[in-house]
Amino acid sequence: MRTRGAGFYSAVIYTAVSLSVAAIFFVLATTIGYDWVARIGGAAWVFMLCMIVLMPIVTPVVKRRFEKD
Amino acid sequence: MSNNRTKTASLTVSGMTCASCVAHVEDALKGVKGVSQVRVNLATSKAAVDYVPLEASLAAMKEAVDDMGYELVLDNVNLQVTGMQCSSCVDHIETALRELPGVSKVAVNLASGNARVEFAPEITPLSEIKKTVQELGYQVADQVGGTEAVDREREARQREIRRQLTNMLIAWPIGIIIMIGTFQPYWILPSIVPEWMNNKIFLFLLTTPIVFGPGRQFFINSWNGLKRGLTDMNLLYATGIGAAYFIAVINTFFPDAGFGGREATFYEAAALLTAFIILGRYLEAVTRGRTSEAIRRLMKLQPKRARVLRDGQELDISAEEVELEDIVAVRPGEAIPVDGVVMEGYSAVDQSMITGESMPVEKKAGDEAIGGTINKTGAFKLRATRVGKDTALAQIIKLVEDAQTTKAPIQRVADKVAGHFILGVHALSLVVFLFWFFIGFGLWFSPTSHLLLTPYTLMGMGVFGFALLVSVTVLVISCPCAVGLATPSAIMAGSGKGAEYGILFKGADAIESTSKVQVVVFDKTGTLTKGQPSVTDVLAVSGVDELEVLRLASAAEKNSEHPLGEAIIRGAHARGLEPQDATSFQAIPGHGVEASLDGRQILLGNRRLMADRGVAMDGLLDEAERLEHQGKTVMLVALNGKASGLVAVADTLKETSAEAVRALHDMGIQVAMITGDNLRTAQAIARQAGIDRVLAEVLPEDKAREVKKLQDEGKQVSMVGDGINDAPALAQANVGIAIGSGTDVAKETGNVILIKDDLMDVVAAIQVGRATMRLVKQNLWWAFGYNTAAIPLASGILYPLFAQVVSPEVAALLMATSSLSVTLNTLRMKGYVPPIRRQTLPTAPGEARPVLAGSR
Repeated sequence: MRTRGAGFYSAVIYTAVSLSVAAIFFVLATTIGYDWVARIGGAAWVFMLCMIVLMPIVTPVVKRRFEKD
Repeated sequence: MSNNRTKTASLTVSGMTCASCVAHVEDALKGVKGVSQVRVNLATSKAAVDYVPLEASLAAMKEAVDDMGYELVLDNVNLQVTGMQCSSCVDHIETALRELPGVSKVAVNLASGNARVEFAPEITPLSEIKKTVQELGYQVADQVGGTEAVDREREARQREIRRQLTNMLIAWPIGIIIMIGTFQPYWILPSIVPEWMNNKIFLFLLTTPIVFGPGRQFFINSWNGLKRGLTDMNLLYATGIGAAYFIAVINTFFPDAGFGGREATFYEAAALLTAFIILGRYLEAVTRGRTSEAIRRLMKLQPKRARVLRDGQELDISAEEVELEDIVAVRPGEAIPVDGVVMEGYSAVDQSMITGESMPVEKKAGDEAIGGTINKTGAFKLRATRVGKDTALAQIIKLVEDAQTTKAPIQRVADKVAGHFILGVHALSLVVFLFWFFIGFGLWFSPTSHLLLTPYTLMGMGVFGFALLVSVTVLVISCPCAVGLATPSAIMAGSGKGAEYGILFKGADAIESTSKVQVVVFDKTGTLTKGQPSVTDVLAVSGVDELEVLRLASAAEKNSEHPLGEAIIRGAHARGLEPQDATSFQAIPGHGVEASLDGRQILLGNRRLMADRGVAMDGLLDEAERLEHQGKTVMLVALNGKASGLVAVADTLKETSAEAVRALHDMGIQVAMITGDNLRTAQAIARQAGIDRVLAEVLPEDKAREVKKLQDEGKQVSMVGDGINDAPALAQANVGIAIGSGTDVAKETGNVILIKDDLMDVVAAIQVGRATMRLVKQNLWWAFGYNTAAIPLASGILYPLFAQVVSPEVAALLMATSSLSVTLNTLRMKGYVPPIRRQTLPTAPGEARPVLAGSR
């Protein structure tokens, strides 16, 4: 149960952070005036890479926090 | 009592003999952070430990107990793990298993597919260990030993090789057609290649089966890893192939989407990327198969059948069914099925496949015979003394297997770095993408720029397409896929090479340590010398007969197993004396012996013994000194507290001792000799051997301390001895080398076992160790350095100057090249001969060579 809880919260954290970064990217790209393919495609790629980078970092930290509690 | 946070484990501790041992162990365990209570039971050898799992680790408990001189006994299991593709898989499994509370040590070997786990089943059962590995997406099974293991392993390797070969046979021909079709409009191809081959729908139809056929493994493995929050090289491949395919499909069906249009379809990138990665996988599978050849060849030496005499009948049975004490008949030309002692008959036996001796060895009644060797000319019967997994051959196989399943320290570092590398690569890819998207494209993009080594221009490519292209290329080119293979393949090749020359490394760390040796310390008797001393001089004080001195000495030594004692017995026999049985006998280590004969007390030993017992030896000391200057060992004899005489014994150097010392000096290695003998004798022997440093008059229990003194000088020390007598010193040394083990492989301590009684093998062992580590470093360079140097290129650092970027398929080519480099580099070890042995290679045709040297 705790492990599942840790997995869920990890997913929430890294997904939220990745979405935030992608959103910032999208806003920046829109402000500069890129077309919709660049904005959406770029945001999607940024989101994916952020998820890949954050997953193995966030998951063990959250798991350790859960086990401590 | 345990609460939610505290757990109790019942651990086995060996070595305790009394209540104070109990107290020591309890103190040691209580000193481990997180341990609250310890109750040790001497009778059951169990320690009940209350601990907090997050704070106290099993590894810390083991270290604490082992440091006190006891042993926390843990289970060891070897598991066969299939499905590993790269060194990040190794890192994932090790990290996950180390997090289990009952696991102390884990070593996973990618090349052999083996995972060795040291664990406490009371805390973490084996089933939980297996479940953890399975949950990561790998298959795990108990590793069995012997032929079954090798057959199973070979089948698994063959299956993997066939699988990747099938993938290659699909990906490559179609990939080449796609490449030709893609470049149809360029160069001379329009006149050779029909236009319809450049049709994007055609290319889509060809590429899709490659990506979702042979390429599917990368997507599935990536997903399995991501589900557990793990990133590995499959993710790099899947991202690269997926992105190239995705752009190509979008540009085919939605050409106005801004990814570059119909002319920027990267079907050949997706197809060739898949093909190159699979080529790398195929090469890795082939390399893994080849490097365990050493074990397969050893296995082939094991005879299948045996002729056993039971109840007066000769039965032809399986060699595995031979029992201890069975009488086994061996005919000319047959392989000896088990280890034993010859009972009757006479023959010459070819032992080259085990010991490397090129000349057949005579065997007569009383001689030991080794299972797996070939009987040449005569017939004989032997009594089985070691059968099944206890035979020398079986133990050698186990040692070589074990060496190949352990990890060298350098490999642990490489695996760790590779694991973090993947993460770093994705982060770099993100940074590169953001740079080219927001800054680089606007500053430097030119529609006439090319993809490197292709006629593709990037006309029509938008900012997203360009930034994505560079980002994907960085992912693909940085993949350190050969890292997982670099060290283990070299270690396997090195340990197999050592086994060919009768040098058995007990683990990958033994190979690494051997390569770093700076000082070699030789034990004297039996190591540097033949260990077969003989009596050269017998002197008596006035009023005593010399034969009487020898008679007393032989009576005192009749029950001794010391080489000097045996020399005195032989000397007595040679002079027509029959040694009498002493009524009592006591050996005094480092001093001599004390015995009683006909109510009289005999002392036989060195000056220390006589001084301790208050025996005046004034009249004999000058003679003793003179003889010792000649390199002889002098034993003083006293009867009833009065000096009687002395016996001088000389042990000669082995033929190769001086040459081996010279060779070590040429390699820049210092040589020392350690002995319990007196300084004069020791120095005389050292002079003959060319040894510069002598540690003489060292008590057996102090040998380890002398080794430690050398280590405290900052040196990497190797101790060479015969194993049984020198165990503490061998264990203390950085590398303990047990020499002349022959069939007693299991009894030997130390990190390296030399089967032959030849000091040149000490030199050869160091040379093999150095050659292996050179190979490791070269492989790591090919694996890491190659790709790391290409990362700046892939990220577009030269684009502003040359308007060229690396395409994903060229990146994949570079990546496959690093795997190929590691494979070819490792295979070079096959032809390696230790320089010290190059002079002794037979040149005459038909002359015997060790089987394992690849001559058959």
